Amino acid sequence: MLAANFDWQFIWDHLPDFWEGLKQTLKVAAIGIAGSLAIGIVLGAARAHRVPVVSWLAATYVEVIRNTPILVQIFFIAGALPHFPGHPIRLEPFTIAWLAVVVWGGAYNTENFRAGFEAVPYRYREAGLALGFGRLGTFFNVTLPIGARIALPSTINTNASVLKNTSLLTAIGFAELTNTAYSLESESFKAAEVYFALGVTYLIVVWTLSGLTRVVERRLALPEAR
Amino acid sequence: MRRIGVAAALLLLAAAVFTALGAAAPGGKVVRTAAPLAKPKKPAKPKLPPLPSAVKSRKHWEIGVKCDFPPFGFIDVRGNNDGYDVQVAQRFAQLAFGSKKKVNFTCVTTPSRIPTLMSSRVDIIVSTLTWTQARADQIDFSIPYYSATGRLLVPNNSSVTVPTLSGKTVVTTRGALYAAWTRNCFKNTKLLEVDSPALAVSAVKDGRADTFMFDDAFLLGVATQDRDVRLTNDKFLNVPWGIGIRKGETAMSRWVNAALRYMKKRDEFVKILRANAPARLVSSFLDNVPRPKNTFAYPVGKDVTAICP
Repeated sequence: MLAANFDWQFIWDHLPDFWEGLKQTLKVAAIGIAGSLAIGIVLGAARAHRVPVVSWLAATYVEVIRNTPILVQIFFIAGALPHFPGHPIRLEPFTIAWLAVVVWGGAYNTENFRAGFEAVPYRYREAGLALGFGRLGTFFNVTLPIGARIALPSTINTNASVLKNTSLLTAIGFAELTNTAYSLESESFKAAEVYFALGVTYLIVVWTLSGLTRVVERRLALPEAR
Repeated sequence: MRRIGVAAALLLLAAAVFTALGAAAPGGKVVRTAAPLAKPKKPAKPKLPPLPSAVKSRKHWEIGVKCDFPPFGFIDVRGNNDGYDVQVAQRFAQLAFGSKKKVNFTCVTTPSRIPTLMSSRVDIIVSTLTWTQARADQIDFSIPYYSATGRLLVPNNSSVTVPTLSGKTVVTTRGALYAAWTRNCFKNTKLLEVDSPALAVSAVKDGRADTFMFDDAFLLGVATQDRDVRLTNDKFLNVPWGIGIRKGETAMSRWVNAALRYMKKRDEFVKILRANAPARLVSSFLDNVPRPKNTFAYPVGKDVTAICP
């Protein structure tokens, strides 16, 4: 039944619409992945090295984000912040979009990098200190290059999730890929065509992202693990 | 084994008793209220075509209405469906079965209403359904029973109007005419599409959108109750609403159209309007309802969303 009525022409005609949505998805995902990696490295280092105060704040942040649904976080940024008593924060839909995925991905990456940095054997750091590096120097020359590469496989998962989670931004009407498809379906009633095209698009994009990062991972893999 | 058999028999018996009680209760009530009322002043029975057999044998309507769209379809403080659309549906129940209670309402939203109709979960939808060619390709429309105009809802201090939409963010509900119109006519305008009008109002109040583009009837209600927002003077996309019927159900179309014509002739839509709109706003909406001398037509053959200001 599906095959008989399936309107390929419809998908073809609406490729520009999908492309518009995909552009927004990719933009938000790119900021999301870059931002969450940055947060992850900074806070992951603070957690691994038990930097006072920052480490505790990071732990609270990670627990809050990891124990609430991202949909709730999106609604919170979009709906609760504008009514913050005394200091309302009104944000553009695009800002809400990337902020939501950066905050979410940052929490997961903090844990990924914390685990990576903690996996660097202590004797390596001792060696760095013995060579005359300061604490920061040891981090940038020893812990970061080794620990980040240990953390890489798990950050790939988080990156893919950041990309996929942008679809939840449809809840606030942000015109990313899923929202575009959903709206297209509401106007054309071609549910099979629209959601089939949507699924295939995500599959291709996420697959490509994972493939690319896997190449990077292989290139950067620690010599002993190869 | 025997114990299980006894238990099963007891369960069956209990179920039978419950269904019997459940079936008896509403039935008894209807007889009691209908009998004394029906006899003394029975209005001249309208000559309507025969009811579609599926509805007739079920002895009540199944109708899809909005539940988030005051004053057309909403849930009142007692939890009952009410509004202009709901009262039109109740009038159908009265015309078909002699009691306005002979109708079961299903809540639908703008994106869900046509799928709900097409999957046969309801007989018809009376759900603020503006006529469009794309929709008319999917379902049949009755003759119009209301005509809405698009307006802009903006914060009080805003200077946004239709000619100055460029670079602004417009919010509207998903699947609405306004979304397609904005996309077609305002290339530099950002569009937010949300699932309910209430979400759209909060998008404007939270600063995520500059204006909410929507039907006048809904927006007037918001603007009269909320001092932070107002309507601009722009009016656009004046297209009538119809009742949605599955394609090819001619008996249904014939009955619904006859009922609507009967109501129009007796000026009943004004009565329904008065029952739902705030008194001071009724006069500004008198042109929006069908009346003996006020007839609407669908813009057949024209894509209204492609006609730009």
